[in-house]
Amino acid sequence: MSDRMTLDQFEQALEAIGYISERDDRIALTTFLATELGKPLLVSGPAGVGKTEIAKALSQIFGAPLIRLQCYEGLDETKALYEWNYQRQLLKIQMGREHLQEADLFSTDYLLPRPLLQALLSEERTVLLIDEIDKTDSEFEAFLFELLGEFQVTIPEMGTIKAKERPIVVLTSNGERELSDGLKRRCIFLHVEPPSVNKEVRILRAKIPDLPERLALEVARAVNVLRDRLALNKIPSVSETMDWAKALLVMGKTGLDPAWVDATLTLLLKSQDDVELFYREMGAERLLFESSKVELGEKHVHGSK
Amino acid sequence: MSMDQNRASELDRHLVEFAQLLRSVGLKVSPSEISDATEGLALIGLVDRSKVEAVLQATLVKNVQHIFAFKEAFRAFFASLEQKEAWQKDVAQKAAQWDEKIESTRQDLRFQENELDISEEQRAVYASLPEKDKQRLRDFLEKSSKGTRSGIPVDHSYQPMVERVLRGSLEYWRKKLNEEDEPILQPGSSDGILSEVDRALREREVEVLSRDLKKISSEEWPEVIRLIRRLSQRLASQVTRRYRAARRRGGLDMRSTLRRNLRYGGVLVERSYRSRRKGRLKIVLLCDISGSMLKYSEFIWQFIYGLSSAVSGIKTFAFGESLIPLTGKFQRGQTFEAMVKDALMVSGKEWGGGTNLAKALETMQKKFPSVLSKQTLLLIVSDAQTLEGEKAAALLAGIRRQVRQVLWLNTLPERRWLETPHVKAFLPSCDMYECYTLGHLTQILSKQI
Repeated sequence: MSDRMTLDQFEQALEAIGYISERDDRIALTTFLATELGKPLLVSGPAGVGKTEIAKALSQIFGAPLIRLQCYEGLDETKALYEWNYQRQLLKIQMGREHLQEADLFSTDYLLPRPLLQALLSEERTVLLIDEIDKTDSEFEAFLFELLGEFQVTIPEMGTIKAKERPIVVLTSNGERELSDGLKRRCIFLHVEPPSVNKEVRILRAKIPDLPERLALEVARAVNVLRDRLALNKIPSVSETMDWAKALLVMGKTGLDPAWVDATLTLLLKSQDDVELFYREMGAERLLFESSKVELGEKHVHGSK
Repeated sequence: MSMDQNRASELDRHLVEFAQLLRSVGLKVSPSEISDATEGLALIGLVDRSKVEAVLQATLVKNVQHIFAFKEAFRAFFASLEQKEAWQKDVAQKAAQWDEKIESTRQDLRFQENELDISEEQRAVYASLPEKDKQRLRDFLEKSSKGTRSGIPVDHSYQPMVERVLRGSLEYWRKKLNEEDEPILQPGSSDGILSEVDRALREREVEVLSRDLKKISSEEWPEVIRLIRRLSQRLASQVTRRYRAARRRGGLDMRSTLRRNLRYGGVLVERSYRSRRKGRLKIVLLCDISGSMLKYSEFIWQFIYGLSSAVSGIKTFAFGESLIPLTGKFQRGQTFEAMVKDALMVSGKEWGGGTNLAKALETMQKKFPSVLSKQTLLLIVSDAQTLEGEKAAALLAGIRRQVRQVLWLNTLPERRWLETPHVKAFLPSCDMYECYTLGHLTQILSKQI
């Protein structure tokens, strides 16, 4: 695929690989902007709204391999960027004690590239996904500045390594921690909200081809009501909606009824607190009643909780 | 790019102006982001309004909480010309009224024909007084201007004294007129667009997050409680994160490395690192339950409860006139009031009385010396209105040296700090944050701990 495309082409490409987006959610436009401006894309939003999917979609569209760095507490350079292969260096020292130069030991032969360096060293363009950046500590975030700003890293023993092909960088954050201004300044920012009923129906229909239209609609409406009306600790994600729809399909249901909602609720609400909250404040019958009133295009209004 | 030079510079000018508007409503916009926005617009084009908005949002807004302010700013900035003129007119009118009001106070409040040195806010308080009370103040000034002291007429050197009396009186009126302690300030900026955005943002204040905690009604508490719980859980996880991250760092421990590698004939195959072990953070909560803080008691209780259910081993104290240890006294379903009253019964004191932080700190040092160590995070929730403020400040400075951090959540708005005696004295020995909305609490927890 050619490097340059227009926004319309990009939207079509997204559609073609089955990534469903809408004008309103601005996912297509913002992602397109980030790739065209060559800037990292920072995606925030609650868990399970399809942030990571964006990186996968980009990888497919541009035919670029996906390199993923999963962040966690205490992640540091040796896990993210590079590590020297100490054992191999030691062997080398043992083998050639006499005529050994220091430079021999600190060459690419003895370098173990981790995801970030892999993305820079790759001959072809890659998609680098730095997942859940908010889980790392702020030192690591600062360490990323050079990479995200100039697409290069400095290894003290070897010098600066510049990207051969600028990778497309996608960072995701669940907003567990406020990210630093420096990081945010270097990125294009996209906030993804849980999908509208309409969009979720399209996603369900695309991913589960056997799902009858009516069931898809009822499922999407009910999940929308759950996300919207209850202050849950964890709102149901799109993949959980899919699991629910699949379960109902397997059991041969064509529509929702209270008994089956009760029986399958744990596919959507996965903590005891949330289940208790649901029965205290809503219950299956009211859920179905409320969801029958939801308009098709109604957007999930998600305040700054 | 075949963009006409003129048009480009026009666009740049608008973008810079727009960025300035965003900055004045609290967003941080850097020049590099403005340049990103320009590039983005060149790429997407200016035809479709919603696309333009999307480009600007993606490049200039980097925080979810700012999206609303951005949307309002965009709406106002790119409104029709007539609309903007109407806003401008409105603002000009309000400003004129305000100026008139202030100007009239300049005429009224004089001492021997000299203008008095009092703040704009105090002038505004005067202007909003009933005519009868205004007259009383004017009479006071008039009399003191013509007054005598041991037979000699007073001269201008008495002006500072008169000003002090007047300020005290106006301060009294400000509190009386305005129990909620809203600022009486100029009607905002002289810029029509900005004041329109401000208005929209104020309307938004009905949202729980930005409302004063004492104004949250009982129906909304369940939602607020959930939020506080979530925040305290986050706080708890950060406490452990710091510990674990610290343990991994540190230089190579040569001695132990050599020892471990003796079996390889001294070749350094395995490395061992010096671990800088920091103890787990111990949180000590010290909450003000004096009369001035009564309105916040629900918030304090929920905060304590949420925090202690998320972080284990937290030590909690309340203080009014004296120190009341609360650790181990929580029971599910019991109200804060009942719990504190129980604790007070034991010590025979009263709920909602005066405040004496000095006494509380002293008692803490004497009776509970073990709670103050290098691992301690001392978290004070108070409005800093206390007796023996200087002594308390000195004690706090001493405690600051004993503990890792002193964090003070002040329910008093920051703009009132300097007028409150003693706040200044406390500032050097703690990190003080204003905290009277949940928004504040969220911010503090996300950046501080």
